Amino acid sequence: MRYWSVVFALAAIFSVGAFVYAPLSGDWWLPNPSGDMHHSVSSFGREIDSLFVIILVITGVVFIGTQVVLVWEAYRFADRVDDAGRPVRQARYFHGSQRLEVIWTIIPAAILVFIALYQMGTWANIKFRSAAPKVQPTAEVTARQFQWIFRYPGPDRKLYTPDDLYTVNDFHFVKDRMTLINLRSSDVIHSFFLPHMRIKQDAVPGMIIPVWFDSDTAGHFELVCAELCGWGHYKMRGNVTVHASDEEFAKWQADLLAEQNRSQLSMATDNQGR
Amino acid sequence: MTVRSRLHRVIGLCFLVPAISGCSDSFLAGKLHYVENEALTKDVKGRSSLVGKPRLQEKVRKALADIFGEDPQRIRVPEAMGGLLNSGGAYLGNYQVQDGVVKHSANEDPVTKQFTRYAGGYGIYRRQCLHCHGVSGAGDGPTAPFLYPYPRDYRKGLFKFTSTPNGARPSKEDLKRTVRNGLNGTSMPAFHSLLSDFEIDQVVDYVIFLSIRGETELALIDEGAISDETDINALSPETAAEIADGVIRRWIADQSKVVNPTIARTESTRESILRGRELFLGKTPEKLECSGCHGLLARGDGKSFVPQDVFNQVVFGGNPSERQQRIDALSPEMKDLWGQKLDDWGNPLRPANLNRGKDTVYKGGRRPIDIYWRIAKGITGAQMPAHYPTIDEKKVWDLVNFVLALPFEPELLGESPHPGGPEVPPGVSGTPPVAAR
Ligand SMILES: [Cu+2]
Repeated sequence: MRYWSVVFALAAIFSVGAFVYAPLSGDWWLPNPSGDMHHSVSSFGREIDSLFVIILVITGVVFIGTQVVLVWEAYRFADRVDDAGRPVRQARYFHGSQRLEVIWTIIPAAILVFIALYQMGTWANIKFRSAAPKVQPTAEVTARQFQWIFRYPGPDRKLYTPDDLYTVNDFHFVKDRMTLINLRSSDVIHSFFLPHMRIKQDAVPGMIIPVWFDSDTAGHFELVCAELCGWGHYKMRGNVTVHASDEEFAKWQADLLAEQNRSQLSMATDNQGR
Repeated sequence: MTVRSRLHRVIGLCFLVPAISGCSDSFLAGKLHYVENEALTKDVKGRSSLVGKPRLQEKVRKALADIFGEDPQRIRVPEAMGGLLNSGGAYLGNYQVQDGVVKHSANEDPVTKQFTRYAGGYGIYRRQCLHCHGVSGAGDGPTAPFLYPYPRDYRKGLFKFTSTPNGARPSKEDLKRTVRNGLNGTSMPAFHSLLSDFEIDQVVDYVIFLSIRGETELALIDEGAISDETDINALSPETAAEIADGVIRRWIADQSKVVNPTIARTESTRESILRGRELFLGKTPEKLECSGCHGLLARGDGKSFVPQDVFNQVVFGGNPSERQQRIDALSPEMKDLWGQKLDDWGNPLRPANLNRGKDTVYKGGRRPIDIYWRIAKGITGAQMPAHYPTIDEKKVWDLVNFVLALPFEPELLGESPHPGGPEVPPGVSGTPPVAAR
């Protein structure tokens, strides 16, 4: 029986090894822009990543400690019999130990309280409505089985006017700007998830929920639904484009508006859908 | 000893589990079979069938296999289809190209005896479309019964939102637009962020292939229905090939019929919008009366259609499979009206609610040209008729301007959208969300 401890040891070593290796691999670590493993593109993202690393370190230390004890005990005491074939040391049962229970309650409780207090500022900055940036919402986002519908204010910068711009699964905003959206759902609960910005917010039918975030990197990222919302859940993916400048964003909006106002096919070969 | 063998089992398991869960393209390996058209073996109300003609049934099956391949994994492309599809149909999947020419659809290379593995449109369709639209494009996938409106049945070659004339086959660009942008207000999602343009080309080719196959199947059944079961010359391979060619020729011909407005859009001035309003309400000599179907307030509740509450009761009021019982329970007049307001696929129709304020949905697209197409050439398979050239093009543009302005100016039709009353709940409109359960 004592060789079971070897299996446990191997499993523990493998697990720890995987965690040590993960940050070295772009595929294993948190979603980051390609070729830049330790960099989340948003300011909240970096805060959340550091919280994540702290939790990982705490649980890692506890995990390694308990595994060493477990494996050692299993190896040391299993299968040891005297000449008569009886176990060298009889297992002893006792009912409760107040001191032990107090210790193993206080230590995790203290750790939990520490984490709770430590992360509170970040949580408030990201989630409390009072912390929402005082900016014009960039878009209204409606989740629907199974897609994301975006509605942007047009040139008049007001929502719900005839010049509004519409896209499906295509989200655009500008780099280095705190961006605010209003999140809605028209059927079930979905979850608006920008993995590269570490932003995740449920969309709840009947509610309009403000969500805000930024990005310090221009480029193409991903939007997914993080709630199992039905059979087409996996199809709820969208493209996110972070524009380098306001001008670039305005240019994209102008192109979209032109397409949205299309009333003629200019050429027989014209691509009508774009 | 026992410890050892158990250890082996544990370690073995560690390797086995990832091996099983890690199979990638195995989705291409399983057997798939086309679903036969019901009319081949069953009595179907309102259309000809081959009931009691087993020899002709067999001939139809054989003809379909000869022309289009036995099953989705062995696709064959009739020569005439080459010009319609990208690279002569090479993107359909499980294809083989020799010397730059598509030779045939065999899985196996006759020289090297190697299998060509290319998922193509077939693979994409199988992954993304099949669960709604079904193996042969009949709109009968496993999730179809849970949707409203039902997924399209391709086998008639009819598609609703096209740029081609009413009843004509869609242009490839129309199908691509639908796949790329989805159909707002239905369960057809937008695929542009899931599929590349090249992949959309491939899957559209496959949809056209399924469509042509389905249309040929229907035409063969029609031909068989008027043939004599004992006539050994009935439904000969030559006849079948001719029928298929006819279907393909029609698709090719319709590609060049895309409707482009001959005059530019009238500017959306107050006058133009008000002219559109008069047309909508039927107050002009043309007596258009859009309001007869779309309702006096354009909420999709015109008197020529089944009232909204009856519609909701039948469509959403219980188990989808018991819909017929709910229809049978209607009063005779209502049942009669219900039967008249079905689309070409037999599904209940609802005129669009054009006055839902900021939530107004235009299924076929919201660009002026999309609305122009809906008004000028109607909606294929539905009861929205073509209005051009019944009314002149300028008036079509007036209507377009009115329809686009209405959601933002509900007072155009005399009443604010929700006059103090409760907000119209989802599902009580022309385009309710998916019937979730
Ligand atoms: Cu979702």
